[in-house]
Amino acid sequence: MMRSFFYKGKSLNRNAFGILAAACAAFFLFFCVAACVASAAAQTPAEWERLSAEKSLGSPNAPIKMIVYDDYECPVCGELYEQTLRPLIDDYVASGKVYLIHRDFPLTIHLYSRQAARWVNAAARIGKFEAVERAIFDNQMAWSEYGTENPKGIIKPIVESALTAAEFKRVERLMHGCESNSQSEIKGCLVDAGIQRDLAEGELLPVRATPTIVISARGQQYPPMQGVISWPILRQFFDQLLSQK
Amino acid sequence: MTSSSRWSAGRTLLLIGRLALAVVFLAAAYGKLRPQSAVPWTLASLKITPASLGLSMTFFAMQVDSYQLLPPRAVSPFAHTLPWVEFAVGVLLLTGLALRYVSLASALLLALFYGVVIRSYALHLAINCGCFGPNEKLDAWTLVRDGCLFALGVAVTIAAFIVHRRNRPALAASPHCEHAT
Repeated sequence: MMRSFFYKGKSLNRNAFGILAAACAAFFLFFCVAACVASAAAQTPAEWERLSAEKSLGSPNAPIKMIVYDDYECPVCGELYEQTLRPLIDDYVASGKVYLIHRDFPLTIHLYSRQAARWVNAAARIGKFEAVERAIFDNQMAWSEYGTENPKGIIKPIVESALTAAEFKRVERLMHGCESNSQSEIKGCLVDAGIQRDLAEGELLPVRATPTIVISARGQQYPPMQGVISWPILRQFFDQLLSQK
Repeated sequence: MTSSSRWSAGRTLLLIGRLALAVVFLAAAYGKLRPQSAVPWTLASLKITPASLGLSMTFFAMQVDSYQLLPPRAVSPFAHTLPWVEFAVGVLLLTGLALRYVSLASALLLALFYGVVIRSYALHLAINCGCFGPNEKLDAWTLVRDGCLFALGVAVTIAAFIVHRRNRPALAASPHCEHAT
C-alpha cells in the first residue's frame, strides 16, 4: 500500500512527496510553537519571583524569611500589620535579620480587597510597595466595608496621598484596565497576574484564613500560623532562631 | 448482672477511661514539645532534643498568643509550663497515683480548654487550635472533640471518687484497722 502511495507504476509519485513534505513542515511549525509556549510558561516562575521580590522588604540574604498571606480588607490583617509588622519592619527587617515577603490572598467575602491588592501591586511595580501598603492599612477604616467613614471602596485617593504626582501617574498607567471592583481576575489587567499567582501558591499551602504567617530559617520551614501574634512574642521566637547555631 | 460483676465492670471502665485520658494528655504534651516542622512526620520532626525543646515551646507561645486571651507578659510563662503540666497529668493518670486528685485536675484542665475553644469559636477567631501540635485548625470538630474529652474527664473523676468511697469501708472493716482502733 505504502509502495503504491509513493510509486505510480515504476515512477515516483510527486504529489505524495509533496503531501509528506507539507506534513513535515506543519509538524515542525507545531513543534516550534509548542516549544515557544513551553519556554514562556517556564519563565513564569522567574517572573513571579521578580514580582514577589517587589512585594518584599529587607534583605533576601537575611537568616529568617517570613511570608505573610494578607487580605487588605480583613480587619485582623490590619491589626497584625499595625501591631506586629510595623515594629518588625522598623526593627528586624531594617537591621537585616528578617526578609518579609507579602503575598496577596484577597478573600471573596471582602468587596474591595482585590481592588486594594491591585493598587498595591501596581505600586510595587514602581518600587513603592512599602509606602502604599502602609497607607492602605493605615486607612483601612476609611475605604473598607467595615469602615466608619464614607464613601467605601474608594482607594485611589489613599494611594495618591502616599505617592508623588509622577509616581502616581505611573501607578495609574499600570492600573489601566483594572478599574473594576471585580473580585476575580480581570483580563487585560496587568497586575492581576501576580495576585493570581499568590492565590495559587496560598491554596497549595493551604492558607485557610488570613493572615497566615509562614516562617523559615536555616533551611527549615515552620508550620503556618494563623491570626494575630503580638510583636514581643514573635520577637522572642526570632531571637531564639537567631541564637541557634 | 450481680452487684460484684457490675462493680468489676465499673472498675474496668474506670481503668479504660483513665488510660484513654492519659494517652490524650501525653499526646498533647508531645505535640507541643516535639520539633515543629511544616513537614510533620519526618524522622527529625519526631525526636525531641534539648535544642529543639526551647524553640518548640516558643513556637507554642505564638499559638497561645493568637488566642488573644493573655497579656504578652503572661503568654510565655504559660506556654512554657502547660506542656509539662500535661505531661505530668498524663504520667500520673497512667500510674493511677492519687487518682481522685489527678482526675479532678485533668477535668479542670479540660474544662479550661473547652471554655477557651468555645470562646474562640464564638469570636470567629480563624486560628490554629495548637491542642495537639501545630497546623490544627480550630473548627466545629474541635468543639465536639474537646466536649467529649471534657465529658470523659468528668466521668473518670466521678468514677474515681465512687471507687475510693466504696473501697474505704472495706479498709475500715479490715482486722488491721480494727486493731488500730
